[in-house]
Amino acid sequence: MATYDSLFSSLGLEQWCSEGKSSGPMSMADLLNKNKGESAEPASIWELPFPSMDALNESCAAFPQSRELTKGLEQGFLAIKDSLSLVLDPLTQPLSWFLDGALYGMLNTPWWIVIPLLLAVVYVVTKSWKLMLFVGGSIVLLAFIDHYDYAMQTLAIIFVCAFLCVLLGVPIGIAMARSNSLQRMIIPVLDMLQTLPPFVYLIPLIFLFSVTESKLYGIAIILYAIVPVIRLTNLGIRLVDKDVIEAADAFGMTPRQKLYKVQIPLALPNIMAGVNQTIMMSLAMVVIASLVSAPGLGVLVLRGIRNLELGVGLVSGLGIVILAVILDRVTKASLARINVSQKQ
Amino acid sequence: MRKLKSAALLCALSIPVAAQANCGEVSITEMNWASNTVVTNVATFIMEQGYGCDVTIVPSDTVPAVTSVAENGEPDIVTELWLNSAGEAYLRLEEQGKVERLGKVLDPGGVEGWWIPTYLAEEHPELKTIEGVMANPELVGGTFNNCPDGWGCRVVSDNLIRALDLEESGIDVFNHGSGETLASSMASAVQNEEPWFGYYWGPTVPLGKYDMTRVDLGEIKPDVHQKNQTQDVDNPGVSDFPAATILTSVTTDFKEREPEVADMLSKLTFKTETMSGILAWMDANNASGEEAAVYYLTNNSDEWSTWLNDSARERLANVLN
Repeated sequence: MATYDSLFSSLGLEQWCSEGKSSGPMSMADLLNKNKGESAEPASIWELPFPSMDALNESCAAFPQSRELTKGLEQGFLAIKDSLSLVLDPLTQPLSWFLDGALYGMLNTPWWIVIPLLLAVVYVVTKSWKLMLFVGGSIVLLAFIDHYDYAMQTLAIIFVCAFLCVLLGVPIGIAMARSNSLQRMIIPVLDMLQTLPPFVYLIPLIFLFSVTESKLYGIAIILYAIVPVIRLTNLGIRLVDKDVIEAADAFGMTPRQKLYKVQIPLALPNIMAGVNQTIMMSLAMVVIASLVSAPGLGVLVLRGIRNLELGVGLVSGLGIVILAVILDRVTKASLARINVSQKQ
Repeated sequence: MRKLKSAALLCALSIPVAAQANCGEVSITEMNWASNTVVTNVATFIMEQGYGCDVTIVPSDTVPAVTSVAENGEPDIVTELWLNSAGEAYLRLEEQGKVERLGKVLDPGGVEGWWIPTYLAEEHPELKTIEGVMANPELVGGTFNNCPDGWGCRVVSDNLIRALDLEESGIDVFNHGSGETLASSMASAVQNEEPWFGYYWGPTVPLGKYDMTRVDLGEIKPDVHQKNQTQDVDNPGVSDFPAATILTSVTTDFKEREPEVADMLSKLTFKTETMSGILAWMDANNASGEEAAVYYLTNNSDEWSTWLNDSARERLANVLN
């Protein structure tokens, strides 16, 4: 005798209910009641269970339990996975090529080429000797404690992922800025990407692609890190002064001219702040990416945690921090240069 | 002073009363894998209902649990402790007399090894031995799915790979980043009836759910296996994995405090096959660990009733009959 028996009998569904299969496995609560020698009937209104799927199933065996929902989702996914992978696999294949290529290039170029090259890039974007010396010192320090290979793997992954984030994120942000309805649609997706635990979508992805593909961790990083660049591009373009747009209209600029000559240049500080955040967030994903087999400093962090090798964990964790500081300073410095050049 | 005396008197008086429920607060670990949820829930049910303990379940993992016992003497009971992954740290605790092993929670123990799906083994029987696999790398997909970094099995597998010269035979070694991706790579291969070759261990849900065949690595040589457990050991040998010892372990303090419960825990042993069956049932019914514990308790009462003392058997009479 369960709580909602009367509901089903008043609806005249007894026939349908009794045809249903027997209910699911016995719960711990049932067993405890059995031990006390009592029936499960609630004594008062205080113990009235919420009419959830499981509670209704107790009264009516044909009513599905909530575990049917999760089972249904799983079976649904397994049923469509073949056609899904047919579409998604080729679409994401370039990501694997980029990542493998970047990793191969970074690791097979001798250090005496890679380090000066990185420093040259730093100098070109920041025009600051001080910063270049700092970056050089940090990398030499990492190399000196034999973490050069790991750091370069991490750096290669971040370069590829951050580049793709910008490549995809800026156009999405621009499209969002131009259409309010698109913005209403995309913002919940962005919220979801930032909060959904990565393993929730990574495990289904393993069923679609081979686990040995590097795109698996690439996707994890990109989905998480693309959010700030989209948000800040959208914001930056929306914040462009209305008067300036009006002036552009008055000069008879086409929408395309307006975008490239007015909106994007004026929104550039915001976009660059988004790029900076995107790089930092892809670095934050390094450890999680290592859970799906990404090489780099994240692997060392995981080893440190799992074996309680505190030293290994601390050193590699600090290595990630050093990379973060380098990337942050360099992007901030180039952002400052853009700001200065705009004021002139 | 008088207050203290009366409190002492009260305690003395309450002892006979409490004889029926002479068990205080107990903390027990719940590790993050399926068989352990079953063990922990079964033990919790018996301790609460049979011995009147006030049980707190502490979600944990092997290494954190052992560290916590070493540093704080808590939790009281560590269930399903795989000796090979707890390692030196645990043995040191035993030497210091901080913990005591009560018994094997799984009999004969955990199964470790290198596996291929059974459909593959039936189609190509030669793949049942490592020589056959190495002679036909393309039949197993050309990849060995290795353990994640930091796992005990990673060290052993790495040494075996070197000893066997696995990579020379054309099999790539893929180092997984986590147990989750290792399991899902196996699951996705079996779903598609594709070849798969890699390390796994049981009793676990994947091994209960999917029909897998163990690849014979040759003889089990305990001394070689022991040697293989050291990272980058010189001239590693080839030995199959022996059955892993899985223990229930309690703090010495707890054993003195609750001898009755400790006695029950020392008898708490599951047959490895029974556990595999429970895990397969669990998956087939989409059941939780708690429900699986209930399933075990209702169907195997003749087995677990032998663990109990008389008073506990009496208190659990309704479930037992």
